[in-house]
Amino acid sequence: MTTTNNIILEGIGLVKHFGGGGLLSSPTVVRAVDGVSLQVKRGETFAIVGESGCGKSTLGRLLLRLIEATAGDVLYEGRSIRALNQRDMRRLRRELQIIFQDPFASLNPRMTVRDIIAEPIALHGLAHGEERRKRVDELLRTVGLLPAHADRYPHEFSGGQRQRIGIARALAGEPKLIIGDEPVSALDVSIQAQIINLLEDLKEKFGLTLVIVAHDLAVIRHMSDRIAVMYLGEAVELSETDDLFDNPLHPYTQALMTAIPVPSPVNRSPKPLLQGDVPSPTAPPPGCRFHTRCPHAKALCKEQHPKLETAEGGRKVACHFWRDIQNAGAGALAAPPASPALTKRLELYRTWRDRQDKAGAPGR
Amino acid sequence: MINEAALRSRETDQAVAPRPSPEPLLRVENLSIRFDGAPKGVNVVDDVSFSLAKGKTLCIVGESGCGKSVTALSLMGLLPTPPARIVQGAAYFEGKDLFGLTERERADVRGNRTAMIFQEPMTSLNPAFTVGDQIAEGIMRHRKVSKAEAWERALEMLRRVRIPAPEKRLKAYPHEMSGGMRQRVMIAMALANDPQLLIADEPTTALDVTIQAQIISLIRRLQEESGMSMILITHDLGVVAEVADEVAVMYAGRVVESGSVEAIFEDPQHPYTIGLMGSVPSLGRRQGRLATIRGSVPPAELMPKGCRFAPRCPFAEARCATEPPPLVDVTSGHQARCWYAPLEQHRGAVL
Repeated sequence: MTTTNNIILEGIGLVKHFGGGGLLSSPTVVRAVDGVSLQVKRGETFAIVGESGCGKSTLGRLLLRLIEATAGDVLYEGRSIRALNQRDMRRLRRELQIIFQDPFASLNPRMTVRDIIAEPIALHGLAHGEERRKRVDELLRTVGLLPAHADRYPHEFSGGQRQRIGIARALAGEPKLIIGDEPVSALDVSIQAQIINLLEDLKEKFGLTLVIVAHDLAVIRHMSDRIAVMYLGEAVELSETDDLFDNPLHPYTQALMTAIPVPSPVNRSPKPLLQGDVPSPTAPPPGCRFHTRCPHAKALCKEQHPKLETAEGGRKVACHFWRDIQNAGAGALAAPPASPALTKRLELYRTWRDRQDKAGAPGR
Repeated sequence: MINEAALRSRETDQAVAPRPSPEPLLRVENLSIRFDGAPKGVNVVDDVSFSLAKGKTLCIVGESGCGKSVTALSLMGLLPTPPARIVQGAAYFEGKDLFGLTERERADVRGNRTAMIFQEPMTSLNPAFTVGDQIAEGIMRHRKVSKAEAWERALEMLRRVRIPAPEKRLKAYPHEMSGGMRQRVMIAMALANDPQLLIADEPTTALDVTIQAQIISLIRRLQEESGMSMILITHDLGVVAEVADEVAVMYAGRVVESGSVEAIFEDPQHPYTIGLMGSVPSLGRRQGRLATIRGSVPPAELMPKGCRFAPRCPFAEARCATEPPPLVDVTSGHQARCWYAPLEQHRGAVL
């Protein structure tokens, strides 16, 4: 078997339609994911971003074959995982893990934390008896919890701690790649920062590849190396993170950037806003799917579906007119720098915060 | 035809006032709220004071459990009692103490002079009635108008909140609309009686970012048109920076810092405010790891007697856990509840 250079996971023309099938399913077809191709490089953090209903979560599940694709293929280490039988697929699950958004819903309330984390270890036969116990304790410590927590139940933990338990379980099978489906969006800001740092530490420590599915552009800019922007089931732009934020090419990406509230009261000004709602994925508009909301739409956009074109730096964008609109001044985020007083105090805070950690009290 | 005189009568009363008086529209003083069964001395809202001038926006920022929503509900007279009880404090709205009103008087104020919108519009709208019915109901409760007039007003409100095809939408049920449209309906309903005070509790949290931007811009425009005051409750510092005039940062039931939006963002003083700002990823190029706040909010039975942030605060000393710091002026109009503000003076040298 050949290992394809540095691509660990690849989606090829992935399509997922819900409904419209058999006797009992709904006659309307929801085109949740409609022909998405992307490549995830080994060791990077790849982000899939978009608003609700754009198909980003469905895409994440397709990449792990948690649901079967309607068409297309997924290659892991150069090998199709759609062709695998159930047994081989189950064996492969060890290497491909997922963390869910809602740590309240994704942990079995009747299992102790020890059982939750030990389950994948047992399933894959990685350790037994005392060794398994030790492994669970070690995993708890790795995610910033205490081995003493192992005999409690999920409801005894806060949201952030539960997300740590979910992460410990994902790590239990010693995975190579973890998909985080909105892993921090249900958490409070201060807890969110803890989990983001934890994921980054773990990625470093275990040499993981991360795929983050999220809607929060600030979180994505902070964490990811490359980004796929999705709209109504399609990838409309693929780019390195800094390039995307410095110069968004697709009008939808530009609109997303403009819509983010900037945490600084300095330059308050009315912004050009996207009008209307996202159309239903049961009946996506013809031509370019974004044309109904696009401020730059022309006659061609209503008729012809734009292809994903390659722009400079290997970026990809699906818009007929991206060359014309990129200098329209829309988009690029102008985040004013932090004030001197905030910068100074934040530095002081970090210094004392490090000291607090070194003092070594439990719980990060 | 709509009875404009009836609808506007209260507004003209206001307009007659010669000048904006120094008395704010709303003044909350030393408000403390307790939940039955909570340990002694641990109030869910503890000694909270703030005031709101006419036409201005106050943002109350904080994380889950900080007491921001309970504060808002108490002002609306919507606190579930029991278990929640106001143990201390007053809230003067247009000169009257809201907590001193009878239930009947409260109901006359609510939805009329004050109105509230919530995070998830689907749970606040009745799924069994059309949008028009629900907006008209609120109008008829507070105005002597016919049903036809109330529906006329409801239609006008849908236009004001920029709902496309408002005549059609009036007869629609909530489930037939998108989240953004439902939030517009909630806003239409809240503003139908021209309230002087709008309380918005995380109004855009459940919405996508492009829809959030639409709703925020709508609320701001409506506020400019009507001159109402607003209390906006949120955990999103970006939203605060965009809409606030004044900001109160709450932590575990107490206001830990308050001031103008510029003061809070340009010159934050309380360690919690600073930690919160460090926890939010910047929208600019990556600047290393995020600063974090250690641990999480302690449960009521472990709440320290002194500063409630002390167990998580990197700057805390023994004194912080036992002696509650007072809310003191850092500069005029900018207050912080910390023994060591400004930090660079008291904590500049690392031991």
